Amino acid sequence: MSFAPVARRRGSARQLLRGTLLVLPAALATLLVVGGGIGATLLQALGLMPIAGPVTPGIDAFLAHPRDLAAATGVSIAVAAASTVIAVVIGTGAAVVIASGRAGSRLLAALGATTVTVPHLIGAATIGLLLSDAGVLPRLLGIPPESWAPWVGGSLWGAVIAEFAWKESAFVALVVTGTLATRIATYDEAAALLGAGRRRRFRHVLLPLTAPTIVICAAISFVYALGSYEVAWLLGRTYPEPLPVLAVRLFQGVSLASRPEAAAVALVTCAISLAVVALTFAALRRTAVWR
Amino acid sequence: MSSIARRPRRTAALALAVPLLALTACAAPESSASTAYDDWDAVLADAEGQTVQLWMYGGDDQGNAYVDDILTPAVAEYGVTLERVPVTDTGDALNRVFTEIQAGRSDGTVDLIWVNGDNFRTGKEADAWLCDWTDLLPSMAATDPDDPLLQSDFGTPVDGCEAPWHKAQFTLAYNAEAIPDPPTTLAGVLDWAEAHPGRFTYPAPPDFTGSVFVREVLASVSGGADEVPAAYSDKAFDELSPALYDRLSELAPSLWRGGDTYPANEAELGQLFADRQIDMTMTYGPATLTDLVADGTYPPETTVLPLEDGTVGNASFLGLPANSDSIAGAMVVANVALSVEQQAAKAQPDVWGQFTVLDIESLPDDDRALFDALPTSPVVPGYEVLSENAHGELAAEWVPALDEGWRTGVLDR
Repeated sequence: MSFAPVARRRGSARQLLRGTLLVLPAALATLLVVGGGIGATLLQALGLMPIAGPVTPGIDAFLAHPRDLAAATGVSIAVAAASTVIAVVIGTGAAVVIASGRAGSRLLAALGATTVTVPHLIGAATIGLLLSDAGVLPRLLGIPPESWAPWVGGSLWGAVIAEFAWKESAFVALVVTGTLATRIATYDEAAALLGAGRRRRFRHVLLPLTAPTIVICAAISFVYALGSYEVAWLLGRTYPEPLPVLAVRLFQGVSLASRPEAAAVALVTCAISLAVVALTFAALRRTAVWR
Repeated sequence: MSSIARRPRRTAALALAVPLLALTACAAPESSASTAYDDWDAVLADAEGQTVQLWMYGGDDQGNAYVDDILTPAVAEYGVTLERVPVTDTGDALNRVFTEIQAGRSDGTVDLIWVNGDNFRTGKEADAWLCDWTDLLPSMAATDPDDPLLQSDFGTPVDGCEAPWHKAQFTLAYNAEAIPDPPTTLAGVLDWAEAHPGRFTYPAPPDFTGSVFVREVLASVSGGADEVPAAYSDKAFDELSPALYDRLSELAPSLWRGGDTYPANEAELGQLFADRQIDMTMTYGPATLTDLVADGTYPPETTVLPLEDGTVGNASFLGLPANSDSIAGAMVVANVALSVEQQAAKAQPDVWGQFTVLDIESLPDDDRALFDALPTSPVVPGYEVLSENAHGELAAEWVPALDEGWRTGVLDR
């Protein structure tokens, strides 16, 4: 049995044209900004847009720091994946509680809504003050800095993952709550009337119906964490650097060659993000709801 | 399905190609600029009504307050509006200039940058500075034309492409309560760090402060600053740097957190010192120490550490981007900033405590009295003491080479 809450049908030629025309202004503006930005980055990375001196086409910029680039890619993907998994688990759980309307659900919803409004930079500064070696938490607990686990700047990237997971879980919770509040609730009630327990309803009704939402949230959260600079810079360590930190360091580098290298790192980040988005859409097509 | 999907793809490719082609057309403009002025009165006349954006490191509260409260009103008397644009790194300001030059803008938004060292050199390589304009400034008369710190900036000839602003001296400071018997040489500092594991660290290059510390260690392991040729050569680098990286790698396990990670900048290093996690800190702006001790951030026993081998000193400057749209206004600001009144005000420890670039000995008695009357700080000795045995900066080419070598040779072992 498969659910099909949204019926898909092809419109007439006129309707298609009208739809295209309506979308066109937004699509053009997006293409110009994104295309122009990525295009300029590509030109710089390929040595076609130097600040000074002659144009020297080539892929040197991509090969300049192979070890740094590999390490950055690894740590970026690991941090983004870890924080996304935590955010999805916590966010989905919170959404189920919020949608259930039980005691505390309003408080949880308010907490989630407040968290979403806090900028990442403030979040990072707060987590830093809370979790650093001589931060608020170790002081409150009376733990000397040497005995406190290296959350900030530690090899497990604890503070960075905590910040992303905290912010993104609130985002996931709010979006998934929105999905749960639609007609999915009626399916859930029907299943309950037919005698399905809480766990079965979650596994066989709520999870399949919210899967597309969760997958999209996870992709947004992953891509954000992958491309975010300030959190990793404030709470991370000096080596290995995540991709955006490496890109900014190179971009600010003093040699004229470092700008194309920064552009190359940015393009790698971009390519990974695009691949994740493509994978997400591939996964979405396989979900029952999409079909 | 497939033919429908293919058409928009072709359209998208086309839509991408157009801006790309447009961008290829904007090549970097050739700009070897020097000033169009040969008369100070003309500068003054043009400056009236101009707004000057001064891009400078924004993390120094005293510096920000000096510019906002003292320099800005002073230039307002010439009809020039001064706006301070805070940046986290001088490179950000230079990057803005590069971006505008790349985009072909001749009415650039950056009019002055607080700059020196490798940023200056890179800007000069890219022809981003206006040159041959500092001789016009009347205040330049009070500087010593033979002062090596003002002649060349990290080995790059100044050539009138930037106006001197103040002098700095790299300084180590320690908590005298924790270190009753401090070392007296840089080699001694490293030995002390090894004898007291976890109580010392330094910012990771390419941070400015971390970078200069590495250069100091280079001088120390090479047998003194005189043993390191100021001009860069691959040969000198290959000869001298292995000892440096060996020494720093050997030191790493004794550093804070076992050298597993490093503070990213001077602010983070200062935080560790303030938290008593380490017992020694370092700075290029020792003037800030007075305030940090007075307000209780740093331990009350904070003391400047004089080293027998001396430390490196340099001058910093105000650079004028060639594409600035307020060239005359920027010159007026640079001239006022270099005046005796401003230099003396800025040297006050409770204002900014920056060492003057003026030649105090050659000043008229009244002006010299302004500097003689400066109060002494309980924490920071005077410039003559700090700069004892001082050595000059290495050529700017050394900096990225040493920083990159540190990343591969020490950080990423």
